[in-house]
Amino acid sequence: MSHTTMQAGGPPASRRSERTARQLSGARNGRLLLWAATLLLFATLLLQVLEVSGVVSMGLVSWRPLLFAYLIWAGALCAAQVMIRGEDGQRAAFVLPAVLFTVAMVVFPTVFGLYIAFTDWNLSAAAGRQFNGLDNLRSLFADVYFWNALLNMVYYVLAVLVQYAIAFGLALLLNAEIKARKFFRVAFLLPLMLSPVAVSWMIGKSLMEYRFGPAATLARHLGWDNPAFFSTPWLARTSIMAMDAWVSIPFMMILLLAGLQALPSEIKEAAKVDGASGWQSFKEITFPLMLPVSMTVIILRIIFQLKLADIVINVTAGGPGGATDTVSSFIFREYRDRSNVGYGTMLAEFYLVIIIIFVALILKGASRWMQRDN
Amino acid sequence: MKVSDFERMMAIGLSRRAILKTGASLGAVAAASGVLGSFGAAFAQDVSLRGQILQVPGVGKGSPTDADWQKVGEMCLEATKKSVTQGEFAGVELSFMGLNNQNLHNVLFRGFLKPWEDYTGAKITWIDLAQADYNPRLQQAIATGTVDFDLLEMGAPFEGDVCGRGLASEMPDWVKAQIDMDDYVDYLKAPVGTWDGKTYRISVDGDCHNFNYRTDYFTDTDLAKAWKDEGHEGEWGVPKTWQKVQEVTKFLKGKTVGGSDAIGYLDAPKAWGGFGFYFLASRATAYAKHPDDKAWLFDTDTMKPRINNPAWVRAIQDVIDALPSESGDQLNADPGTTAFQQFLAGTGSMVSWWGDVGAGARTSDSSVVGDTIGFDILPGSDDVYNSKTGQWDKLASGPNHAPNMAYLGWGVYVMARVDSDEKKKKAAWSAAAHLGGKDLALWTAAYPSGFQCYRKSQFDIKEWVSAGYDEAFITSYLNSQSNSYNHPNAAIEPRIPGIFQYYSVAEDELAKIFAGQATAQAGADAIAAAWEKITDQLGRDKQIALYKASLGA
Repeated sequence: MSHTTMQAGGPPASRRSERTARQLSGARNGRLLLWAATLLLFATLLLQVLEVSGVVSMGLVSWRPLLFAYLIWAGALCAAQVMIRGEDGQRAAFVLPAVLFTVAMVVFPTVFGLYIAFTDWNLSAAAGRQFNGLDNLRSLFADVYFWNALLNMVYYVLAVLVQYAIAFGLALLLNAEIKARKFFRVAFLLPLMLSPVAVSWMIGKSLMEYRFGPAATLARHLGWDNPAFFSTPWLARTSIMAMDAWVSIPFMMILLLAGLQALPSEIKEAAKVDGASGWQSFKEITFPLMLPVSMTVIILRIIFQLKLADIVINVTAGGPGGATDTVSSFIFREYRDRSNVGYGTMLAEFYLVIIIIFVALILKGASRWMQRDN
Repeated sequence: MKVSDFERMMAIGLSRRAILKTGASLGAVAAASGVLGSFGAAFAQDVSLRGQILQVPGVGKGSPTDADWQKVGEMCLEATKKSVTQGEFAGVELSFMGLNNQNLHNVLFRGFLKPWEDYTGAKITWIDLAQADYNPRLQQAIATGTVDFDLLEMGAPFEGDVCGRGLASEMPDWVKAQIDMDDYVDYLKAPVGTWDGKTYRISVDGDCHNFNYRTDYFTDTDLAKAWKDEGHEGEWGVPKTWQKVQEVTKFLKGKTVGGSDAIGYLDAPKAWGGFGFYFLASRATAYAKHPDDKAWLFDTDTMKPRINNPAWVRAIQDVIDALPSESGDQLNADPGTTAFQQFLAGTGSMVSWWGDVGAGARTSDSSVVGDTIGFDILPGSDDVYNSKTGQWDKLASGPNHAPNMAYLGWGVYVMARVDSDEKKKKAAWSAAAHLGGKDLALWTAAYPSGFQCYRKSQFDIKEWVSAGYDEAFITSYLNSQSNSYNHPNAAIEPRIPGIFQYYSVAEDELAKIFAGQATAQAGADAIAAAWEKITDQLGRDKQIALYKASLGA
């Protein structure tokens, strides 16, 4: 009976023990594989370090062997997961490549960057890279160019609110029953499809060119004698903001439009029946309902805005007198023109921390505000 | 004449008239060859070749194209054929890193080297860089030991970084003979191009800033009358000193020439990846480079910056004073704007630049000032600052001139990584020698290429006139360069590592000064402080040693 039951309920004990033995053997092989790959990885790392420090000379001209060892180890880790943990391991193997890739391409460079940030590393310096403690941080706090650029970022971030208002207006327009709506939707998206570098040249260096640019010519016809868009600090800053807005508003607009289209029409219709005016309908219904989308749009844009550099570098190089400089364009100069890798990395890491704190605060604030509103 | 020869000549753009002229010349030279023997025959061939390449595509016939560059490359291949057999470098692959400014430099090199590749069998891959990206790319490659190119277009200021670290291949003797290094202008001979007594560089360019001006402005009778009426000293004419440049620039404000607004000097206040600093330097050298002192940028023994001494501060103040009289958006003008979008496009009457302005004046499609342009060495100064005494000296010889030898010209360098493979090494040096050939140099100086004269043989006015250049124009152009190169008080740029870091930092501070956020003195002091920091970071003792070496001190 028990024999029959056992037959009906599962494989015989001998087969089960055979499978268990296979699993145990697979797990043992998996561990062995992982150990071997880990050993290879650390051995390669050790050799590379010894090579760099001049203890051994094996002709390792680059760190590429370590990369290959890491790839082998990553492959072995995935295989070992399957061999050791069976189905659970298979599930892990789906995620592991992405995790390992992120570790290699994001986590490691960021951590390594932190190390670089605490070194005095100028590419032209004969002494090479030297650990210099907190010197770079002290230089940063005393660096008027950095704080000037950071102040400019405040202005640029504030400009996002203006961009949002315009984008919302355009989204409302494109959500309404207007003629050629589809055409306008595509047309308004075009600036988003352009590279900011192309925009810099087409608009900043051509349309707004002082001598022959159509915008300057038009301005002269309108009575502006000296239509120099980039010669005074606030005008230059505003011109950069305008160009940036031209590229970015479509991005905000398309997200807001998607949000508007997802709104239930019944509520608006009910408000209409109750006699609400267009403004009342917008103020009391559309805008509050759109708040989650709006917050997402604004936060995404602020994150993008904090990285603003391309248009500034191409059109004004940060001038006049640093009026349009951004933190990213300043870091770019520190790296590109001055080969000052240690300090440039400190700037980048410090700015990353500022961005993380700033965005976290915004998210927290937005979340509280929306909860209160609800 | 064989029909095939005639067709070939027509294919390279020679007119029937030019062929007849060349034929007549050849006939005359051939007649003389009985007396001159084989030397005469070779000379006749050279003269003919140099005349022919200057006709490609011909002065006043628009900008040259890739077909023209290939044609010139083919015509100048004879020297290569003497040292390399056909197909000798089959299978060799070389990587060449250089610039692509204004679609020149590497873009031309491709065309010039195409026939060389076809003949030798080697294959070249290209790494093209914009001017502003060039320095960091090179510095990264040097610092991280990732030199991934076999040939490098580089300026002499980087020799400390590259040759000083053993990254370059020493020039073989056969190359020296092929490119005729004795023909180089004197200031480009050793120590430029050498390091620790070894030669590394094939020059393809000579650099100095010269003074470009509009002749129509300075022959304008209305302006001459106004100049007198306003009580200015002296006759209306091309300024010879920076004091006069300032006076003329302010005088022209509000006046018109040919119906357009008259504008004087064109400053370039906007940063340009460090290269913008050269343009302040061109204003400053006459004030700061004393004939009794080789140094003008740093003190020789200490590397103490001179940027905040009265001479440099005066130059900075000159820019501040002149800017309101210049074009309305001058504050946003970098050197690329002043030369190509302003001066050659008809805005402004005076600009300091490399030879590209003159080379493009009559051969570039975008130039409108070809007939109204003149050249001179950089203006001088009535007095010069003496750093040793701290006084302004008035020289008995008159105004102090100190042409700015900005950048010392581009050269082609072969990297040491080819040294382990003899075939590859020979191929790399052969390619470099082709680009640095004597005849090719004539063409690159005559047409837009990014390069100007660097050989004595390039200053033969007759060659240029036969190519179609106006004699007065080309004499003025070439004299402005040769007089700069040979000037006894020329300001030679230091070949020290990280020189562009000094310039780049200065550009940031200058931008603040020109935007009115700091005084000339305060800004200059800030630059000096930043320069001291860079010197310390790079290693003061090493910098001092290299600075002294570059000055020949």
